[in-house]
Amino acid sequence: MANLKYRILLIVGLFAASVWALFPRTVVERVKRDGVFVYDTVRRVPLKRGLDLQGGMHLTLEVDESKQAVANKSEALDRALKVVRQRIDEFGVSEPVVQKAGNERLIVELPGIDDAERAQDVVQKSAFLEFQITDKTQAFEKVMPRFDEIAKNAGLSTASEAKASGDTTKKVGVTSLLTQKSDSSKDSTGKAVATTGADSATTTPAAVVGGLFSTNVQPGQIPGQYIVPEASYAAIERALSLPATQDAMPPGKVMRWGVDSLVSGTQRFFALYVLDSRPIITGEVLTDARPSTDPVEGNVVQFTLNNEGARRFKTETGKHVKDNMAIVLDQRVVTAPVLNSAIGRNGQITLGGGTLQAAQDLALVLRAGALPVPLKVAEVRSIGASLGADSINKGALALAVAFLLIVVIMIGYYRFAGMLAVAALLLYLVYTLAVLAGFHAVLTLPGLAGFVLSIGIAVDANVLIFERIREELDHGKSNRLAIDEGFRHAMSAIIDTSATTILSGMVLYQYGTGPVRGFAVTLIAGLVASLFTSIFVSKTFFMIWLSRTRGNQTLSI
Amino acid sequence: MLRIFHNTKYEFVKHWRLAAGLTIAFIVLGLVTFGITGGVKYSIDFTGGTLMQVQFKQAPDVAIVRSTLDKAGITGSEIQQYGTATEYTIRARDEKQVEAQDAGAEGISKLISAALEQQFGAGNVMVVRTEAVGPKVGSELRAGAFTAMLIASLFTLMYLAIRFDWRFGAAAVFSTAHDILLTLAFIKMFNVEVSLTVVAAILTLLGYSANDTIIIFDRVREDLKKRAKGESLAHVLDRAINETLPRSVMTHATVLASTLALLFLAGEIIRPFALVMTFGVFVATFSSIYVAGPFLIWIESKYPRTTSDSTSRAVNAGTDAAAGKGARKVERVVAR
Repeated sequence: MANLKYRILLIVGLFAASVWALFPRTVVERVKRDGVFVYDTVRRVPLKRGLDLQGGMHLTLEVDESKQAVANKSEALDRALKVVRQRIDEFGVSEPVVQKAGNERLIVELPGIDDAERAQDVVQKSAFLEFQITDKTQAFEKVMPRFDEIAKNAGLSTASEAKASGDTTKKVGVTSLLTQKSDSSKDSTGKAVATTGADSATTTPAAVVGGLFSTNVQPGQIPGQYIVPEASYAAIERALSLPATQDAMPPGKVMRWGVDSLVSGTQRFFALYVLDSRPIITGEVLTDARPSTDPVEGNVVQFTLNNEGARRFKTETGKHVKDNMAIVLDQRVVTAPVLNSAIGRNGQITLGGGTLQAAQDLALVLRAGALPVPLKVAEVRSIGASLGADSINKGALALAVAFLLIVVIMIGYYRFAGMLAVAALLLYLVYTLAVLAGFHAVLTLPGLAGFVLSIGIAVDANVLIFERIREELDHGKSNRLAIDEGFRHAMSAIIDTSATTILSGMVLYQYGTGPVRGFAVTLIAGLVASLFTSIFVSKTFFMIWLSRTRGNQTLSI
Repeated sequence: MLRIFHNTKYEFVKHWRLAAGLTIAFIVLGLVTFGITGGVKYSIDFTGGTLMQVQFKQAPDVAIVRSTLDKAGITGSEIQQYGTATEYTIRARDEKQVEAQDAGAEGISKLISAALEQQFGAGNVMVVRTEAVGPKVGSELRAGAFTAMLIASLFTLMYLAIRFDWRFGAAAVFSTAHDILLTLAFIKMFNVEVSLTVVAAILTLLGYSANDTIIIFDRVREDLKKRAKGESLAHVLDRAINETLPRSVMTHATVLASTLALLFLAGEIIRPFALVMTFGVFVATFSSIYVAGPFLIWIESKYPRTTSDSTSRAVNAGTDAAAGKGARKVERVVAR
């Protein structure tokens, strides 16, 4: 009898522990309210839902070596991980995961993200900031014939027929674009420059007939800025990336594209800048960056420099008053304002037509610092929150229906013993969920499916035992003996059942990713729990029944 | 007490020719479809590419969706209705598109969503799921799935080898392999898309199928020691199968309750998994009766055991030992 008491104690104790493990608890977490993340206390069941159930984004990032080989990838990734983590923390995601997978990849998981593109941009942006003075020596014009030649040798030129038909409209396009620009500009110097720009556009005819650069590239509004029509953008970009062009580059200068394209009428144009290759300062000396809205400039990012940076910035900008300084982010010119006086510790980046959100994001990535290496996306999976919720509802429905069907089958066939099995199955549900919560396992959609499947498999042990007990009863054995024999004979088969399936589950865990791992975990947790409930718990139930019945009451099985 | 299939005396083994015919026909059919339409349909998990699940406000004209994508340069994409009339999946995995994803897996999905928004208006179309897998990750997942299948099979094989003597082990392995083969044929014939979850289903089946055979073989081994003089092995097998028949039917019913609930209620995403599981559970029961048994008889006829054979001694020793645990210990010694 003492034995039975301990058995009951163990079952009840485990049940209590499980309920405690699953009891909704108050946790402080970042939640989304009206589109903004706030810290709040929420009460919830401590079961972690996978991205496929709560919605969110999974990103696998790797070092982008398409432009430049990276020597020590693992170390670079470690530094990148810190930057990415800081950015995400500031971006505001509840329970993000940022981790290194092997030496080649970063895994970023962002639950509850609904603007996947924006989040990805924040994670992936290199955010390498440079301040460079634009060229005013007309260096580009000097090398243009050489560039044309290189482009010609490389077989790069815009189709001549396109040129012939579009020539006049193009010219008009550029002119109107420039005047339009200067009209909207509140800067008087900008207007002055624009007029000269427009003048040169009309007065400088193509120097080399048919040359890729001389026909398509027009001087722009400010010194060192050039305008390229969309049609020839690709060809020019390709020509500029040729090694020969790189060699022929004016000494001490670099060429960078502008961030946005400009639209004039039906034509789209791209801005190309010639800049001093040596930056005045880079983003490394930035200590702070904040989004702000300026009544004149629109949305801006205001930044603060550290002591050393401020000193250097002041001397350099002092030397270049009335010049234009390009603010270059990830090798693209964001804006190129005129320096009216020396700038010290504080400055701002004008985003043109950018939204406040864009300013916020830019400030965020500037604060967190530049990525040490460019990253590219190797895999992305994102699921909307509504689809995730839908999956949970459907999974829960399937679970409930499967459970009910099994209850009907078991009680309908095994009667009283079936009820014991169902009671054991209920305990099984609680135990399994508690194991999952206890190990902080993540419940995924395949995991939910595995859970539903495992309740079907879990009763198999009971079926084996009951069938065996029936046979033993048929042989005229007493209830007690039949139950004992039934459990003993079924034992090895039950262990086999679990062993073979757990083996598969372990392999799945080892080689699976994300959702499939969730499946393997629930399957294994379920089988371990079912070993306990079908062998130990059911046996205890029968022992209780035996201790309460006297004489030869028939066992309803 | 309510009883089904109680004290049955079906002669299962006798019908092995019919069973073998059915099985072989199914596999041949699978091979034929394989020959005609090429390999199985892999999901983008393995091929690389982009899958988008898109919800439209009103049921769209598929032709317009297609032309919109074509115009955006996403040619050759597969567009399928998914669940309701307003939901569609778009799969873009042309060689060209997969290659383009090497530079950044998100590229194609951005193009698709931009093109759809432009065509249908931003509020009328919503992307609810995106899966974009670069070519490198795709080939890694493929290799991972392959290794997992191999290792799981190896483990199961080793387990069976330790658990039984070689004759039983070989028959169990044969029947398990048969189940996997039939499931693959099913996947091919019904054009089920092989994704990571479907691979998970196949691996789960591996365990389930082996277990189903083990339960019957356990009984065969037990009945062998009660074998009357002159009783044929086929007869012993039939007896064991009949004795375990109620269990087979009941377990089949409860597992089927689970897989069918998943199949019909758990939604589109999990459906391929549930479909493969449902078929696999059925096949596992079938093969544990009609494949494993006859194959065992065939082995026994080729390599008959003598009365002094160590295996039969093991059987006796095993049953003499009181608990199942003791029995296995003895067998293990013999198995070596």
